[in-house]
Amino acid sequence: MPFNAKSGKFSASINTVEIGCGDKKITIGGENVLPFYTFDAPVENAPKVGVEITDFGLENEPECIKKYYEGCETVVDMAKKAASFEGVDFLSFRMEGGDPNGANKSTDELIAMLKEIAAAVDIPLVVCGCKHVEKDAELLAKAAEAVEGKNAVILAAREENYKNVGAAAGLAYKQLVGAESSVDINLAKQLNVLLTQLGVDGKSILMNVGSASAGYGFEYVVSTMDRVKAAALSQGDTTLQMPIITPVASETWGVKEAVASEADMPEWGNQEERGIDMEVETAAAVLAAGSNAVILKHPESIKTISKMIKELM
Amino acid sequence: MAKFVTIGERIHCISPVIRKAMEERDPAPILKRAKEQLDAGATYLDVNIGPAENDGEELMKWAVQLLQSEFDNVPLALDTANKKAIEAGISVYNRSKGKPIVNSADAGGRIENIDLAAANDAIVIALCSAEGIAADNDERMMHCQNMLERGLEHGMEAEDLWFDPLFLVVKGMQDKQMEVLEAIKMFSDMGLNSTGGLSNNSNGMPKHIRPIMDSALVAMAMMQGLTSAIVNPCDLRLMETIKSCDVFKNNTLYADSYLEI
Repeated sequence: MPFNAKSGKFSASINTVEIGCGDKKITIGGENVLPFYTFDAPVENAPKVGVEITDFGLENEPECIKKYYEGCETVVDMAKKAASFEGVDFLSFRMEGGDPNGANKSTDELIAMLKEIAAAVDIPLVVCGCKHVEKDAELLAKAAEAVEGKNAVILAAREENYKNVGAAAGLAYKQLVGAESSVDINLAKQLNVLLTQLGVDGKSILMNVGSASAGYGFEYVVSTMDRVKAAALSQGDTTLQMPIITPVASETWGVKEAVASEADMPEWGNQEERGIDMEVETAAAVLAAGSNAVILKHPESIKTISKMIKELM
Repeated sequence: MAKFVTIGERIHCISPVIRKAMEERDPAPILKRAKEQLDAGATYLDVNIGPAENDGEELMKWAVQLLQSEFDNVPLALDTANKKAIEAGISVYNRSKGKPIVNSADAGGRIENIDLAAANDAIVIALCSAEGIAADNDERMMHCQNMLERGLEHGMEAEDLWFDPLFLVVKGMQDKQMEVLEAIKMFSDMGLNSTGGLSNNSNGMPKHIRPIMDSALVAMAMMQGLTSAIVNPCDLRLMETIKSCDVFKNNTLYADSYLEI
């Protein structure tokens, strides 16, 4: 009997979401197949790659990153430069300095910087908080207001502050709401339910279901993404059909494999190569597990992942 | 596994309000009941217009268009002994949210409703009885086989025949209850879909008892592999039980708000 290949496409699909505005806007999601299963059905929107900068500018960046920003005096200069790197689809600005347990920069200071960046670049924006839930409630609500009309992603609303962040980003200023849970499928679903019950349109939600650097509990990240996609596609669960966006750089550039100097670890070899490797491996794996967008830092990683996506599509 | 499919039974001409509304083509009472059931979580709505010998075709068309236009092409089960009325209903039916269900065929005089479903690419509820209730599961499964073969011969997919074991009333047929549950397991082992008028079991019981009996039975039946039931979705206890069983069966992913969605 001849072999008849059966298409593995699903009747349900991931929501299609546009990020940004104007010529440079991007579209993610829309697929009704497993990640990169283009042989089952066409995948219209390729996963997208973002570049991350923070309010600290080059202050905390490793030497191997700094060289790519040569000549940049300010964070705004960096933003412009970052937007020009090969393979970059969007810019992610992380307001790391807002953390009360860290630099504790004021909301006003950070928002002023955000406004300058938003005015300086025309690619889509992802605005990330400082990971302190109370500060983010205020900071991200203001951020949503500051970038009104930009159709930006506000990353993220969490269980503890989804009302503030969701109401400002999703209801008042019509941005896209990032819903963040950390490797907890039930919470990922719950947060989407809560946000939609708040009145946020499910089609303007993106999920960050959690991330980790490869080798650091990463199998939980993968199984979470697998389970989310399975529910979204095979069970038609509309509360999980939101595209997934995964910050990778903030995970991988913190682990010892990426940051230990060659002087300390001569047997590990060149530090920059290690850092890029960690970032590329992690990004490739979360994309294969279902992420619709990844946020990276090193221009070489961005170029590599962007090329990988093109060749797999 | 797919989520349990609830078919809301409350648009039924046995209800005086609905009968009057159907006679007078008055949308309000029908839409009200439809909305209540959908808000409560029904997937399909059953539209029972009775024998409707005179104006069945026109009435069914009216009801289908009324409900689908008001509720985003809600999928419907067309429930009448009048075959022409079912066909008329299907002729105006929008299947974007699910195929129409023909309610129902049996292995006796109504077996031709399987042919009707096949000809119209519909789902059919196949009652495992012929002339009267099956005496035992041998007979039930014989009817099941006959109807399955009939459907397949007419080009249906097996998944579009939803077998109904015929739920029996506890008061009077208590000793037959486990047999019905065993029949569901047999359907399930054959990979077949199943459904039925589950609340039949509690007929004649006090009003406050019925949700308890119906919930217990639906949990047991879902354990056996029941994939759908024709129920009153406004029975909160029953719907909560179904949603909880869907979680245990891994048909839906748990979230703290699972009862609200």
